[in-house]
Amino acid sequence: MKRKVLVLSMALLLMVSLLTGCADTKGTQTPPASKGNTTGTSSDKFKSRTIKFLSVWPEDDKNSNGWIISELSKQYGETVDGFDLEYEYVAIDQLDQKVKILMSSDDLPEICTYESGVRLKQVIQADMIIDVEKTFTELGIRDCLDEGAVSLLKNLVDGLGLYCVPLGMNMEGFWYHKGLFEQAGIEKVPETWDELLEACEKLKAAGITPIVQGGSDNWPMTRVLNAYLVRSVGLNAVQDAVTGKRSFTDPEYVAAAKMFQDMAKKGYFAEGMNTIDPGTATSMLMNGQAAMNYDGSWKASNLNSEDNAAGPEGIGFFNVPVVNDSSTLLDYSMNCGNILMFSKKKYDDKVADWMKFVFPKLGDFAMQETGSFKGFAISKMPEDTTYYTQLVAEHLAKAQNAFLWFEAKMDSETSTIAQNSISLLYTGEITPEDYMRMLEETAAKSR
Amino acid sequence: MERVLGDKKAIALMVLPALIIFIVIIFVPIIWTFVYSLFSGMPGFKFEFVGFSNYIDMWSNKQTVEAIKMNWKYIFFVTPGQVGFGLLVSLMMYFSIKKYRTLSRTIVFIPTILPTVAVAQMFAKMYEMVPNYGLINALLDLVGLDKYIQPFLGQPNTAFGALVVMDIWTAIGFYTVIIYGALVDIPHEILEAARIDGASGVKLFTKIVFPMIRTIMITCLVFSFTGTIKLYESATALTKGGPGFATTSMTMNMYQNAFLFDQYGYASAVAILILIQCLLVTFIINKISREKY
Amino acid sequence: MDREKRMKNVISIIGKILIVIFLFVEIYPIFWILMSSLKNTQEFNLSPSYALPKEIHLQNYVKAWFQGKMNIYFKNSAIVTIVSLFFIILFGTTSAFALTKMRWKLRDKVMKIFLSGIMIPTAVVLIPLYSMYKSTNLLNTRICLILTYIAFGLPLTIFLLRGYLTSLPDDMIEAAIIDGANIYQVFTRIMFPLMKTGIVTVGVIQFYFRWNDLIFSSTFISNTNMKTVQTGLLYFSDMYGNRDWGAIFACISISVLPTLIIYIFMNKMVIEGMTSGAIKG
Repeated sequence: MKRKVLVLSMALLLMVSLLTGCADTKGTQTPPASKGNTTGTSSDKFKSRTIKFLSVWPEDDKNSNGWIISELSKQYGETVDGFDLEYEYVAIDQLDQKVKILMSSDDLPEICTYESGVRLKQVIQADMIIDVEKTFTELGIRDCLDEGAVSLLKNLVDGLGLYCVPLGMNMEGFWYHKGLFEQAGIEKVPETWDELLEACEKLKAAGITPIVQGGSDNWPMTRVLNAYLVRSVGLNAVQDAVTGKRSFTDPEYVAAAKMFQDMAKKGYFAEGMNTIDPGTATSMLMNGQAAMNYDGSWKASNLNSEDNAAGPEGIGFFNVPVVNDSSTLLDYSMNCGNILMFSKKKYDDKVADWMKFVFPKLGDFAMQETGSFKGFAISKMPEDTTYYTQLVAEHLAKAQNAFLWFEAKMDSETSTIAQNSISLLYTGEITPEDYMRMLEETAAKSR
Repeated sequence: MERVLGDKKAIALMVLPALIIFIVIIFVPIIWTFVYSLFSGMPGFKFEFVGFSNYIDMWSNKQTVEAIKMNWKYIFFVTPGQVGFGLLVSLMMYFSIKKYRTLSRTIVFIPTILPTVAVAQMFAKMYEMVPNYGLINALLDLVGLDKYIQPFLGQPNTAFGALVVMDIWTAIGFYTVIIYGALVDIPHEILEAARIDGASGVKLFTKIVFPMIRTIMITCLVFSFTGTIKLYESATALTKGGPGFATTSMTMNMYQNAFLFDQYGYASAVAILILIQCLLVTFIINKISREKY
Repeated sequence: MDREKRMKNVISIIGKILIVIFLFVEIYPIFWILMSSLKNTQEFNLSPSYALPKEIHLQNYVKAWFQGKMNIYFKNSAIVTIVSLFFIILFGTTSAFALTKMRWKLRDKVMKIFLSGIMIPTAVVLIPLYSMYKSTNLLNTRICLILTYIAFGLPLTIFLLRGYLTSLPDDMIEAAIIDGANIYQVFTRIMFPLMKTGIVTVGVIQFYFRWNDLIFSSTFISNTNMKTVQTGLLYFSDMYGNRDWGAIFACISISVLPTLIIYIFMNKMVIEGMTSGAIKG
């Protein structure tokens, strides 16, 4: 009989634990303090508030955006009681999936890294994030944002408004190792694509790897394809193909994929490039293991660091060489980097307070510490700006028109295919026609 | 006797908790998945009844078709590899060593117990080429086979091979131990009698040993098959399905469609397809194994 | 005869050599991981990766444990695995007993339902489970993982235990009943102790399956404080990928060690359970 009781109570125990389990989690998932509108009353009693930050940058990677946010939060933490930043890392190629899952469980963190463009647009339409323009105006910190960045960001979501803050005011192009160029006898930086190919040939002849891209993340490879595409078709090349005005299978588009593959076949790219991550690619450039690396101006912060074996002026920069008159050297690939968005559900006074502290300081802090532009107003340029920071500033000043990265206007599926398949284009597993046909077929689905 | 062993209350108490959890967590969702598979889009967002069109569209969806092909190619190599090597090693153990049998069994089993993600990370490091040579490339370098040094995970074929090797490596021990258990059970007299009759080597194996372990071999095949058809963990951890879609399995394709492209309906159809294949093959294996003898 | 004997010897020696090579292949990568986890970062650049560490560099472990948050992941994995294991064994043994030794009408049908579960691929339940847990607010809790693990652990457990139980004779049960024992006593005093080896086997197998789960934990859990070792490891390697080899090897070692240690202590029972009765069903 005793045994019976035992078994019975076990079964009961389980049921109870299941039920209380439900109740428990319901309780913990809605912390009373996080429900916004009861401004400044007794609900502030909740002392400790953890703000969660989903980031694609390793926290301890000095000079990264993640590090900047985390440092400023630390400073903020010293001014208030019971503040804690919970830093969560997600790999960049998992970001989209992760955010999708968080969105569908209505659990976006207070601060969330994401990508502007079509993807951000979806979050805005789902009404899950705060209107940054409105919020910042209310908080009186609207003027900490750089106007150029703001208009770029608004443009990216087709004028829906400003729903994110920038973490960069970047332009992209080729960074090159001056020493290696000299060694290979290249006297001036390439301005046309033919000159670029010539330079690659010379470098190869001198036993130097011409170009390295962080191919394991895929986007650094689609960037090169996009560079040629834009220069040969025009600034709106991708946009036009996505909307159906043109087709990815048009000969000019296929030609861009072919150019990319030809460069791979000729050995202009580093060996095993699709297994190299962007960080390694950067160090390969700095260590002189490769002569060129197409990347954004965010690289300035790495170049400014002491790890740069090429020295304080050893790396140069040139804009994407031109192909024909579709696009000129005054057109730059520009973006605001990965952006930050803020959960509407979890937005409250504490988050507002944190924002008021962090964002007005961000521009200057980033400039001082890393020498890079983040799309925030800078009150004073540090007097001892480095060569790299100046280089970026000069080019930014020259820019007249901006074009976007390859996937900016693509939906998730098309962009996944664009990214995953570029690796096959690199290895020669698929033809340029295959690649573009896949994009066309997928993009056509959502037209 | 009947009264005690047929005690209804006791039976209910012993079986019901398990049955309820099992039905709620596994059976209900299967039906649910099937219902989803008749819709397009995701619940709450353009969710429309489309009948069986997801099942038809599937065959013109390049990624899904690739995933099915890849998954079957993977099964084709891995299942025979796991069970075959298991058989080979257990035979060697049984016939050629007398001492240290327990020790060898213990060692052989170790890879089976390691966490998949850890194993995958380990192999990823072994296969690495840039920036440093991993174990394999370093060894190739050491013995002067420089021309074989390559980014194993960066090329579709070698990445697939790398995955196959890893998954065979992990499971050999498991099958070795099971098959060895069956070998030990073969009565000694039978083997002796066969030897006296002049049977040896291959003949001894095909005529005497194999029929005795047939049942267990079939169990092993079913086990291995149900494991390989749901390939997800190891490929995700080793290659993330790349390069391109070269190592993307059916389950990974389903996952992408559901959680990345917001196509719950379509993804559900892929899931049902996986289930059908699973049941069909298990059925066929069982059928064949019963018929032949 | 002599020649045949020599042949046999040669074959046996070849067999032995092959086994030794094979065992080496199976075990060396693990040794390599453990050794690499003790190296400092420069060593990876300076010496080939098969070289032994020059000095023992335990900092990697400190880094993996705290910075890699392995301490949190470890706790989560342990709780989730142990709790689900407890219920898998509890429910598994009772239902296996009722399904093999007790006499009732729907017995074989219910058995079939459970056994069909072995063939169910995880993919087919993932989306509904996700929606289900979402609507009951169970996402990001340990409960959703535990429930799922129990359900997926039961079929194989019942299958293995059934094989084990059928090999036990009915006489003892009958004798006990004649002596006046009730069904619960028969189960707890007679059958349970007899199933010990089977339970350990099942327990160990299930431990590995649950400890290794990635698809459920990475789908249902997005909160860092709830993540398990497998998901954590995946993130850690993405984060440190090519930058900090030592730490990543330490992380792998940490996730490997508990299973390895449990196995070393229990291997006799596991292997015994695997080879005898249990799995042959």
